Amino acid sequence: MAKKLKAVVRLQLVAGKANPAPPVGPALAGHGINIMAFCKEYNARTQNRAGEVIPAEISIYSDGSFTFVLKSPPASVLLKKAAGIEKGSAAPNRQKVGKVTRAQIREIAEIKMKDMNAVDLEDAMRQIEGTARNMGIVVVD
Amino acid sequence: MAEPRWLEVSLTVDEELAEAVAEVLARFSSQGGVAMEQAVNYDAYEIEGQPVGPVRVFGYLVVNETIEETRQRLEEALWHLSRIQPLPAPVYRWVEDQDWMEAWKQHYHPLPIGARLLVAPPWAEIEAGDRVVVRIDPSMAFGTGTHPSTQLSLELLERYLQPGQEVIDVGCGSGILSIAAVKLGARQALAVDIDPASVRATDENAHLNNVATQIEVGQGSVREILQGRFRLRRAPLVMANILAPVIKALLETGLADLITPGGVLILSGLLQEQVPEIEQDAATRGLSLLEQRTSGDWVALALRKNH
Repeated sequence: MAKKLKAVVRLQLVAGKANPAPPVGPALAGHGINIMAFCKEYNARTQNRAGEVIPAEISIYSDGSFTFVLKSPPASVLLKKAAGIEKGSAAPNRQKVGKVTRAQIREIAEIKMKDMNAVDLEDAMRQIEGTARNMGIVVVD
Repeated sequence: MAEPRWLEVSLTVDEELAEAVAEVLARFSSQGGVAMEQAVNYDAYEIEGQPVGPVRVFGYLVVNETIEETRQRLEEALWHLSRIQPLPAPVYRWVEDQDWMEAWKQHYHPLPIGARLLVAPPWAEIEAGDRVVVRIDPSMAFGTGTHPSTQLSLELLERYLQPGQEVIDVGCGSGILSIAAVKLGARQALAVDIDPASVRATDENAHLNNVATQIEVGQGSVREILQGRFRLRRAPLVMANILAPVIKALLETGLADLITPGGVLILSGLLQEQVPEIEQDAATRGLSLLEQRTSGDWVALALRKNH
């Protein structure tokens, strides 16, 4: 059934650096989103957090208008920071690239909790652990 | 055709896997940027709906002489991830470098609405003929003119507005209804919205249409108007193009008290099955149905306030 809100698009972008090149352009132009208005607003809202990856969750209405909110950095970015590594494993099933402690997982889960579909902190921690595993990061006690 | 500059890679996965896939795609994507798109579902009376179901994750590889190598490394990374959890095959699409700043504009064209209005984006060159032109910049506020609920509101506005009247627009969004009202002969309009982005958009669009002096824009809703925060407290024509659950709540906080006796209330953003309940609520507040208009799933009502 037709409704006013049509889709939700999440963009992972670097704070203060949104521009019309991919992913912003192709992800939004097809929905009739005013690209410049989005970039300007995103950069204005994130300019004092330069360098961080700050996702924007954009609610797209069926007439092309939109709103957006900023989200906490992706769990993968927080995990890499916690493990002190540049990037995840190319072969996460075999090659482990770093480790994080359960306390760090809890910390990340607390940051991410409000943006996740988690029933409680335990559930959020389980999901973060899953992400860690998929990146080749080992969780230790 | 221009050479493609980007290779789009997308995978449709469960919400749980989306982040891991996004992390892999980000590693190979230009500027580490990825996009995720999810459809929206609703319960019957939910206001905004919730994103549900599978997530489509997009990454964009820069096309250069090592693109095949990059693609292979990406495929390997995805293969390794799929050892842990099964993944669908990635879908590839070549993307030309476009002027994205302009591309989105193709969605908007001048749009005749009702008998007298023409809604147009600011950049469109138009031959208005006899029609009254309303310029709306599609941006961060609902109401570009392309949604049936907005069109129905404009049609009813055209039908019931009498020249020289004052109007109140609750949930003004882009300001399209207030601007159209003034352009159709309203003396003054009060446009309110609880969303600051909408208040800004209405103000900008009012200036764009040279009607800013006749439209008071403010942040708020029915309660703030009744408290006397704005110049207008009542008007013979009141409009609310929102959604049924919000309209229901507004009726409870005194939406009907904004209408002078004998005046008209235009409600839009209703779905067919929500109409009887809203009509009943309205009736208990002294509002009787004048007219109902339908477009697709959407319904708009014009109601008269009893003397």
